Amino acid sequence: MNKPGPPKALVRFVKWYSRSALQESILGDLEEMYYEDIDIYGVKKARRRFTWNVIRFLRPGIIRKVEGNQQLNHYGMVKQHFKSTFRIIAKEKLYSLINILGLTAGFSIALLTLSYVYFELNYEHYNPKSDRIARITIDYLDGGTLIDQDCESYHLLGPMMEEQFPEVEESVRAYGMNAAVVRVKKRNYSAERIYAVDQGFLDVFNYPLINGNTATALSNPMEVVLTRSAAMKYFGSIDVVGETLWVSTTRADMKIVGVCEDSPADTHLKFDMLYAYDLMKETLAKRESPWNSNDTYTYLLLKQPDQFAQFEQSVARLSNKLTEEKKIVNERVISQPIRDIHLYSHKSFEAEANGDATTVFFLLGVAILVIIIAIVNYINLATAKSLDRAKEVGIRKVVGSSRGQIKLRFFIESFTINLISGLLAIGIVVLVLPQFKLLAGLPENFLLLDNPLFWMLFLALVLLSSVLGGVFPAYTIASFQPVAVLKGKFISSSKGIWLRKSLVVFQFAIATFLLIQTFTSIRQLDYMQSKDLGLTTDQVLVVRAPATWKEMQNFRPFYDQLLNKPAFTSVALSNSIPGLPTSLMGSTTGINLVESDERHNYNFFTYFFDEHFIPTMNIEVVAGENFREGKQEDAVIVNEECLRLWGIADPQEAIGQKITFGDNAQIVGVIKNFHQTGVKSNHLPMVFRHAHNWGVYFSIRMNQGDYKNQVQEIETLYETHFDSPFKYFFLDEKFDAHYRSDQQFQAVFGTLSLFALIITCLGIFGLASFTVAKRQKEIGIRKVLGASVIQVITLLTKEFTSLIVIATLLSMPITYWVVQNWLEGYAYHIDLQLMLFAIPALIVILIAVVTILSRTFQITKTNPAHVLRNE
Amino acid sequence: MGRTSFLGEFEELILTMVLILEDNAYGNTIVKAIKDHQNREINLSSVHITLYRLEEKGFLTSHMAGATNMRGGRKKRYFQITNTGKALLQEMKEARMNLWKLTPLLKFSS
Repeated sequence: MNKPGPPKALVRFVKWYSRSALQESILGDLEEMYYEDIDIYGVKKARRRFTWNVIRFLRPGIIRKVEGNQQLNHYGMVKQHFKSTFRIIAKEKLYSLINILGLTAGFSIALLTLSYVYFELNYEHYNPKSDRIARITIDYLDGGTLIDQDCESYHLLGPMMEEQFPEVEESVRAYGMNAAVVRVKKRNYSAERIYAVDQGFLDVFNYPLINGNTATALSNPMEVVLTRSAAMKYFGSIDVVGETLWVSTTRADMKIVGVCEDSPADTHLKFDMLYAYDLMKETLAKRESPWNSNDTYTYLLLKQPDQFAQFEQSVARLSNKLTEEKKIVNERVISQPIRDIHLYSHKSFEAEANGDATTVFFLLGVAILVIIIAIVNYINLATAKSLDRAKEVGIRKVVGSSRGQIKLRFFIESFTINLISGLLAIGIVVLVLPQFKLLAGLPENFLLLDNPLFWMLFLALVLLSSVLGGVFPAYTIASFQPVAVLKGKFISSSKGIWLRKSLVVFQFAIATFLLIQTFTSIRQLDYMQSKDLGLTTDQVLVVRAPATWKEMQNFRPFYDQLLNKPAFTSVALSNSIPGLPTSLMGSTTGINLVESDERHNYNFFTYFFDEHFIPTMNIEVVAGENFREGKQEDAVIVNEECLRLWGIADPQEAIGQKITFGDNAQIVGVIKNFHQTGVKSNHLPMVFRHAHNWGVYFSIRMNQGDYKNQVQEIETLYETHFDSPFKYFFLDEKFDAHYRSDQQFQAVFGTLSLFALIITCLGIFGLASFTVAKRQKEIGIRKVLGASVIQVITLLTKEFTSLIVIATLLSMPITYWVVQNWLEGYAYHIDLQLMLFAIPALIVILIAVVTILSRTFQITKTNPAHVLRNE
Repeated sequence: MGRTSFLGEFEELILTMVLILEDNAYGNTIVKAIKDHQNREINLSSVHITLYRLEEKGFLTSHMAGATNMRGGRKKRYFQITNTGKALLQEMKEARMNLWKLTPLLKFSS
C-alpha cells in the first residue's frame, strides 16, 4: 500500500480532543474511509474529506471532558486517598494533633518572619527608579586609614557629576533643615522632617503631587510642598494649593504649591514638608568656600540600572581630581546604591536609624530552622507510625495498588495535614499581626494579606513542606513487602530508627542553640541598659527651646520662675542632647593640639552647652573646670576620648592647651566620657563650646515626685513665655530608644526560640508516646518479672535523654562561634561565660526529660495483666 | 407506545442498519450501507455519535476487534443490536403499521 497516509497533525489533533475510549475506533474508521476515498476521488480530495470529517467529529459526546478522562480512575482514587487521610487523622488524634500543632506553629512563625524580612529587604522598592539611584557619601581618612564615614556631601558635587558624567541622568540634593514651627491661622504646629530639595526631587523619588503641578513646584525659594498628613494636620484638608503658611525657618509666609502622598514606611528619607533648594542659596553663598561644609544628601539618578560600576569609577576619578586640586583634604568621595542604604549603611548623619542586614538574615535563618524543625517532626512521627501503616499498605498492595499510588497516598496525607496547618496558621497570623507589628517595629499600615506575594509564599511553604514531609514515609512505606507485612513478620528497619534518632539530635541541637542565643541577647541587653553611661539620665526632662530669637528673649524670666518652683533643681541649655543621633551634632575633622606637631584627621563631634549642663547631667569633670557664667567664646571642654586621640595621658596636662578649632580655642576642662549615642557604639571624641543664653533644648532636672504634674507645670510656664509649641521628652526614654532595635531583636528572637522549643518538645512527646505504646508488652513482662517503676522509667527515658545530651553537646561549637560573632557587633559587650551555655542547655534537657517522663510515667501504672492478657 | 425511550428517525435508521449488517456493523460499513440502500450521504461523525447514544440507551452493545492495515492497525468498534433494541424496532414498526391501517387510502383499497 503505497498511498500517502492521512495528515499526522490531524491524527494527533483527534487524539488530543477525543475521549480515549472512542479514539481507536474513530481514528480507525477515519483512516479506513480515507484510503477508500483515495481510490475513489484521489489523494487530494481524500485529504480534504479527511480534514472535513475530523472537524465534524468536534462535537459534544466525542470531545473529552476538561479534567481529562484518562485519569478517570486516578481521580476516584485521589478522592479515596483524601477520605482515608481524614479517617487516619480522626483515628490517630494525638499524632494528628501534634503534627498539626507543630506545623501550624512553624508556618505562623515562618510567615510572619518572612514577611518582616521581605519588608526590610524591599526598602525603596516603592520607587520604580530606585534601581538606578545612588547616594554620594564622604569618607574621612587619616593617611590611609578610614576614620569615619559621613553620608552627607558637598553641595557642589551633585550638579558637578550631573554635568561631567555621561551615565548620570539627574542629580537631586536634599538638605536636612532644622525642625520648624509652622503657623496656620494663628495656631502653631511643629514640623519635624523638613528638607530643602532640588526641583527634580519629586520626580526622582516618585512623589507625584496629588494637588499642584509637579513640573513647576519648588522652582521658587518661597514655595513649600506638604505631605498629605501634614496638610491634614495644619489645614484639615488636602486642597491647600495656593494657601500660605508661616514657618519659623524663614520667619515669613510661604506659598504651598503642592501636596504629595506621605513618605512610605519603606524609605530611608521620610519627610513632612519640602522647601525649594534655592532657599539655601544665600546661606550657601555666604560660606567662605563651597568645600568647607559637607551637609547635604546628594542622590544621582543613573540612566541605566547596570551603570553603578561605571558610576563608581567616575566618582573615584572625580574624588582623586578634587584631592589633587586640594579642594578636599584627607577625604574621599564614594557612592552607594540607594537600595543598600537601609540595611547596609551605618554612617554618620543618616536620615534615620537604619536596619541591620545581619539581624534580618539572622532572623531569616532562624525562621527557616523553625520550619525545618516542624517538618522534621512530621517526618519523625510518620516514619515511627509506619509500622502501624504497614498493614494498610500491605492490603492495598494485595488488592492491586501500584507503588506510585501508595506514594501518592502518603503525599496526599502529608499535603492534607500541611494544608490544614497552613490554614490554621493564616488564622493565627491574622490574630497576632497587630502585636507582631509592634514587636518587630513594622509600620502601622504594613499590608500582609493583601500582598499576592504573601499567598505565593504561603503556597510555596505548604507545598515544600508537604513534599519534604511526605517523601520519606512515601518511599519507605511504599517499599514494604506485602507478604511479610501481612504474615506479621514485618520488623521496622533499623535505618528508620537511625534516621529518627539523628533527626531528634538535629532538632534539639537547633533548639539549644536558639535558647543560648536568646539568653545571651537578654544578658547583653541588661548589660547595656545597666551600664554606667557617664551621666544620669533619669529625672531629666528635655524641652525643645522656642524656635525664634525673639522668643528666647524671655528665657531669663522663664528660667528664674522655673527654678523658683521646688520641683526643679536645675535647667541647662544646649544645642544637642546625649541620646540623640549623631546627625543632631556638629562635626569637624582634624582638630589638633596647636603645640603638637602631630596632625591627625579624626572626626570630632561638637555641640554647645551652658554652665548648668554638666551639673544637670551629672557628668564628672576629670580635670580643669566647668564653664563659668557669662560669655566665653574661646573656652572649650573636651572629653577623655579627645585626649586619647591626641595622646595626652594626664588630663591635667590638657588644661590650658590650645586647639585648632575656631580662632583661639583653649581647653578649660576635661570631662569623663559619656555615651552620646547609647552603649552600642564606641565613645566619640567630643568638643564642647559654651552656649550663652541660647540653645535648642532645655534640660530640666526634676526632683522625685509626680512627674505628670511637673510636666504640666513646665508646660504652663512655657506657654506663658513662648509662642512655639511645647515639645518634650524624657532623657532616659531617649536613651532606651537606642536599644529599641535590640529589644525588638531579642523579643522576636526569643519568641522564635520559644516556638522552636515547643515544636521540638511536641515532636519528642509524640515519639515517646509511640515508643511507650510499642513497648507495652515488654514493659508488662518486665514488671511481671519484678522490675521496679524506677527501673522501667529509666529504661524508657534513657534512650531519648542520651540523644538530647548528645544534641546539646553537638550544638556547642557552632553556638559558641555564632554567639561570639554576634557579641562582637557591640562595642561594649558581656564576656561569654560557661553559665550562658550551661543554663540554657540544662533547661532544654530538663524540659525534654519532663516531656518524656509525662509519657513514660503513665505506662508504669498500667496493670501488666491487661497488656499481657492476649498472649 | 408505553416506552420511555423514543427514537428519532435517524436513530431508527442507524439501529436498523446495525440489525441488517449483523456481524459487520461499524462506522464505515453503516455509512456505506446507508448510501447504498437509501442514497443518503451521511457524515461519519453523525453515525458515530448516534451509535454511542444508542449504546448508552441500551439498544446496542459494542466490542473492539478486527484491526486491519487499512485502519493503521486500529481495531474496529463492532456494534450489535440488543434484544431491547430489536424489541423496540419491532414495536415501532408495528406502531407504524397500525397507523397506516388507519389512513383513508388504505381503508379504501382494502
